Amino acid sequence: MIKKAKISWTFLLGIFVWMSCSKDQGSVDYSLRYPDYFPAPIYPTARNPITKKGFELGRALFHDPILSVDSTISCASCHSQGHAFADQNVSLSTGVYGRVGPRNSPSIINTAWQSNFMWDGGVNHIEVVPVAPITNHLEMDESIKNLVYKLNQNPKYLSRFKQAFDVEKVDDQKVFFALAQYMSMLVSADAKYDMVQQGKATFTSDEALGYTIFNEKCGSCHREPLFTDYSYSNNGLSIIGMDLGRYTVTLLDQDKHKFKVPTLRNIQFTYPYMHDGRFSSIAQVLNHYSNDMASHENLDQRLVNGDKVGIALTIEDKKHVEAFLKTLSDFTFISDPKLSE
Amino acid sequence: MKLFNKILVVALFAIVAFSSCKKDEIIVATAGKVGINIDHVWGSTNEEFKMKTELLHPALQEKMTFNTFRYYVSNVGMRAKDGSLVILPESYYIVDLSIDNGNELTLENVPAGEYTGVEIMFGVDSLKSVSGAQTGALSPAEGMFWSWNSGYIMIKAEGKAPTSITGDFVFHLGGFKGENKVQTTKTFAFDKSLVVNGSRNAEIYLIANPAKLWHGAEKLATKSNQKAPGVVAKSMSTNFYGGMLFDRIDN
Repeated sequence: MIKKAKISWTFLLGIFVWMSCSKDQGSVDYSLRYPDYFPAPIYPTARNPITKKGFELGRALFHDPILSVDSTISCASCHSQGHAFADQNVSLSTGVYGRVGPRNSPSIINTAWQSNFMWDGGVNHIEVVPVAPITNHLEMDESIKNLVYKLNQNPKYLSRFKQAFDVEKVDDQKVFFALAQYMSMLVSADAKYDMVQQGKATFTSDEALGYTIFNEKCGSCHREPLFTDYSYSNNGLSIIGMDLGRYTVTLLDQDKHKFKVPTLRNIQFTYPYMHDGRFSSIAQVLNHYSNDMASHENLDQRLVNGDKVGIALTIEDKKHVEAFLKTLSDFTFISDPKLSE
Repeated sequence: MKLFNKILVVALFAIVAFSSCKKDEIIVATAGKVGINIDHVWGSTNEEFKMKTELLHPALQEKMTFNTFRYYVSNVGMRAKDGSLVILPESYYIVDLSIDNGNELTLENVPAGEYTGVEIMFGVDSLKSVSGAQTGALSPAEGMFWSWNSGYIMIKAEGKAPTSITGDFVFHLGGFKGENKVQTTKTFAFDKSLVVNGSRNAEIYLIANPAKLWHGAEKLATKSNQKAPGVVAKSMSTNFYGGMLFDRIDN
């Protein structure tokens, strides 16, 4: 009896202490879910654990044009769930006052595994990703100071920040924490490919042939299971234009005209393709790799085949590869109500 | 006895829990504040550096008027008399000559004792540059953070220059890694002991010379804009930081 009482005393005190220590973290009932063949994610970190309130606040901010200078553009304007959080099938995105940016809006998925962001990898942490689109003249053109001011004038947001982070005032770090919670929860791992990996489905014969060809000829850059190796690569685009890509970040000659290898998950929803959105179909991309690649001093050596540049693919091969690529379409993810505002 | 045991368990638990909640706080009963005042001079004649005033650069022989001059000071450590270094946690500051008293920094919670010198990092360490959203002086809201190439603008100097092609000069200097990393730790020895005892505010006086940024730099007529890490940022910041001098302390 006595022993039991002691345990329950300690237990009660423990609960009380746990509540007092963690009250500023909301209730921790949201966590990253991913299949066992994924590597360990690098986000969230201990200082910003995902909570229901934090995630929902991030979701609200992501969909709210209050982030832009004239309240016309939200993150979701160019990163739409129906397109796996890429833009709605335009090559280049339009920001405030009809301004058009120089690069294609990438799909925001599986960012919890990503250490560098943007086509040139210039942003080194998920929490500071939003600084770029919010402050960019061509995108939202808002200052962080004014955004924080606007949020502090808004009773709805004040109460939501209070609930999520136990703060009386909004500061920019908490804005970025909330957005990082939402963005890192954009896990896409329910495509047919994943069902096959988990033994819950099987590939058709075209898909299976395509999977074999893909692994042999595409998989070293677009590596499973995330379908990118996160490297920067020149893939022999013929007209390269003024955009120096990775070079703008590193200032190294060997990085000129290199861009991040994008994930191919949900590629069916994220056209057009490449950093400038030049190709509008998967077929055009495959034709580029098989027929149209140009030489470049920084061309990825994985795309050189003996004395020829490009990937040898027959018409049949391309048909099969495309069939396989469509098994990376995650219909559950693009229609998940938990991710929509 | 049983009641005593129960109280003991509860008390131990409370102590553990209390210390786990409070582990980030350093409580030193007689800790005090120490001020760092950085006086800014212009050129070798030590004339006063003034914002919004046309100054002639002695080496470039070009005129310039500063509208913005800001730079990071961080990772302050006080050298105690026994030789140990007392690192002041989370010490990040922006020296901002656009605002009144923007050259006066306050070190909080310096443990009581006698000190013989100070270590200061000019710029921001690489760890904070790669660790996501920060607060206070390190918040991106301060306008000292590159959004497109994550990292801090460690020195920001902007203004008018009639010899520049655009009529302006804009120097955003930074870069935290590799051979062009900008941040530099400097040690200043005091001429006498600085005493912290909680009730008085001791002051450290340093001298900075913004003209040093262009010692060895191109003329503004050919180079009036630099907004990225690299060799230019490295050499200009090295020259500026190298011109930081210890002046005196006041107890």
